[in-house]
Amino acid sequence: MKMDRSKKEADANGGTKIGRAAGAKPESYLPIQAEVVDIDVESSNTYLLSLRPMDEEDELVAVNYSPGQFLMVSVFGLGECPISIASSPTREPLQICVREAGKITQGIMAARVGDVLGIRGPFGNGFPVGSMRGKNVLIAGGGSGFATLRSLINYIADDRRDFRDVTVVYGARTSQDLYFTSEYGSWQAAKIEVGITVDMMDASWKGNVGLVTSLLADLDPVPGTAALCGPPMMIRAVARDLLGRGFIEPEIYISLERHMKCGVGKCEHCTMGRYHVCTNGPIFSYDVVGDLI
Amino acid sequence: MTGTSAFFLRREDLVPLLEELAETLEVVAPVLVEGEAAFATWRGGALALDDKNPLASPMEFFLPKKEVLFRYVQYSGRYTFSEDPPRARLIFGMRPCDLQALKVIDGIFGAELPDIPYAGRRRSTIIVALNCTSPGEGCFCRSMGSGPGAEGGYDLLLTDLGRGYLVEPGSPAGVYILRAHQRHFEEADPEDQREKERLLALAGEEIIKRGPSLNPEKIREAIDGVDWEEAGRRCLACGGCSLVCPVCHCFSVLDQGVPDGERLRCRDTCILSGFSRMTSGANPRPALGERLRHWYLDKFVYIPEKTGLFGCVGCGRCSRVCLGEVDRWSLFKEAAE
Ligand SMILES: Cc1cc2nc3c(=O)[nH]c(=O)nc-3n(C[C@H](O)[C@H](O)[C@H](O)COP(=O)(O)OP(=O)(O)OC[C@H]3O[C@@H](n4cnc5c(N)ncnc54)[C@H](O)[C@@H]3O)c2cc1C
Ligand code: SF4
Ligand code: SF4
Ligand code: FES
Repeated sequence: MKMDRSKKEADANGGTKIGRAAGAKPESYLPIQAEVVDIDVESSNTYLLSLRPMDEEDELVAVNYSPGQFLMVSVFGLGECPISIASSPTREPLQICVREAGKITQGIMAARVGDVLGIRGPFGNGFPVGSMRGKNVLIAGGGSGFATLRSLINYIADDRRDFRDVTVVYGARTSQDLYFTSEYGSWQAAKIEVGITVDMMDASWKGNVGLVTSLLADLDPVPGTAALCGPPMMIRAVARDLLGRGFIEPEIYISLERHMKCGVGKCEHCTMGRYHVCTNGPIFSYDVVGDLI
Repeated sequence: MTGTSAFFLRREDLVPLLEELAETLEVVAPVLVEGEAAFATWRGGALALDDKNPLASPMEFFLPKKEVLFRYVQYSGRYTFSEDPPRARLIFGMRPCDLQALKVIDGIFGAELPDIPYAGRRRSTIIVALNCTSPGEGCFCRSMGSGPGAEGGYDLLLTDLGRGYLVEPGSPAGVYILRAHQRHFEEADPEDQREKERLLALAGEEIIKRGPSLNPEKIREAIDGVDWEEAGRRCLACGGCSLVCPVCHCFSVLDQGVPDGERLRCRDTCILSGFSRMTSGANPRPALGERLRHWYLDKFVYIPEKTGLFGCVGCGRCSRVCLGEVDRWSLFKEAAE
């Protein structure tokens, strides 16, 4: 698996230089402080938090990022963990969507409006939004991985004319686990085709039941560029399906998850072969990581 | 003191020189700690220079096993942070292999996103290196191109000539020390320079005589041929190899204290099973054999790609501590020359 790294990195970089933003001091382990200004409940175990940097000199952090980048979020006393940015840089406030997994995520979810969290970042390369312009875009998400894709969807919706056909397919376990349900209408209004499915039927659900791949069969997206985030099984199935439809490997972008402690390519927790998911990713194209997921 | 580039320090002048340096700097040197040579703060007295390069490497003073990244203090819901400034330090007796390890870590911790605590210590540390004229058993610095003679990366370089040390400056800070403490130094004789070359050549031969010479390029190729599953069965996953390796730098971060406390950085190792395990429980390298393979791939393939230097400097420490039977260099028999 060889590749021309400088070319790939430039291509895979959504415009923001890797992990650098004014004010965020990414090379330091000192977080900046951000106040929780709003909390929405997305599902029984998932909250959407809106954040505002407390110091004026840090305000740029709230807008200077690319879809697909992430923050290291701190609850002092519990620790720090990677969380994708769920908002689009085209809209304030800065938002993160957090699902309960363990002690730090519980700590983040225990925050009330007015409380302070630490953030470092933004980190990672982000989706290559520059090179996605002018192309058909297929966005496929499964489970909690949809948060990072919501950033991309709203980014595209706010600049809709720059992109050709845009299709979103998203699957969750049950209808109660679907995120951002109130926004699907606005995406459709922006001429984005939206397909939603759940694994398990329930009384309140009138929509599709089945895998995300079944939505692809229905919506039949035209080949172009694709952005994927979700469990490895879903990623593999969707990627295979897309390749069968004429999408090419370098145009299928996948957001990967790894255990992370530093976010800046030092601690080695996130290594995947020769790559650091935190700095070389988390977005990789399928030709680079296809055999590693 | 004229323009000559090499000086001579008499054996009996070494401790008085260090005593003078210790007035303004923390001096770290190989000393006996519970009977074992280790790099530690020197508080006067004997140095443990006759022993082989200590198992506890001087990297501890650049990337400590445990350090406070910052302290947080909460006041009505808001935090104030404080960090410790780096200490002015002089490390005496650092060997060529460990100097090379520092260059490798510079390539990782000083790269695109520099690590502030490391960079701070690096800037405030003076290095007085010591050429290896009596290499230890299991050393293969010659194969890795890191010894027995040092090439750059030091402020002062000493070579033990028996009756005293040849002293060569490698930076303005080194020249400054020579000037400030000139009463301890005399100009070196050209014969001293030749004696140094002769001793280093002897040391090089000694290394070859003692153990197999390894070709790092061949190790790179040999990695694919190793039965890692089998090697995994002989490893105890104790992590000892990583803890003594001067190039290993994996770490974890954790908080201690609510509402006020410290964010700590602690050494960790990719040999341990939980190292990469994710919240979902999925583990990218679940088998011990896979983790061992990654350990070697990182040192012989990935780190060279990133820094241009091998991630092993041939200090032999990992073999000295291995409790399992991962006789590492016999894994790569094909790589011996
Ligand atoms: C790039 C990226 C983006 C992410 N985006 C989001 C997001 O937008 N929203 C979201 O909710 N989550 C996101 N995550 C996942 C999130 O980071 C994890 O859920 C979080 O780290 C869990 O931490 P915790 O303290 O809550 O769980 P923990 O208390 O850490 O425990 C959960 C499990 O994690 C594992 N674990 C954690 N630490 C260690 C360790 N030191 N050693 C061994 N095992 C360990 C264990 O298996 C443990 O059982 C993202 C992750 C990445 C890498
Ligand atoms: S891998 Fe072993 S021999 Fe090589 S630098 Fe590390 S401890 Fe020394
Ligand atoms: S020192 Fe030996 S037994 Fe311990 S983890 Fe390393 S290879 Fe395995
Ligand atoms: S998170 Fe530390 S190296 Fe990637």
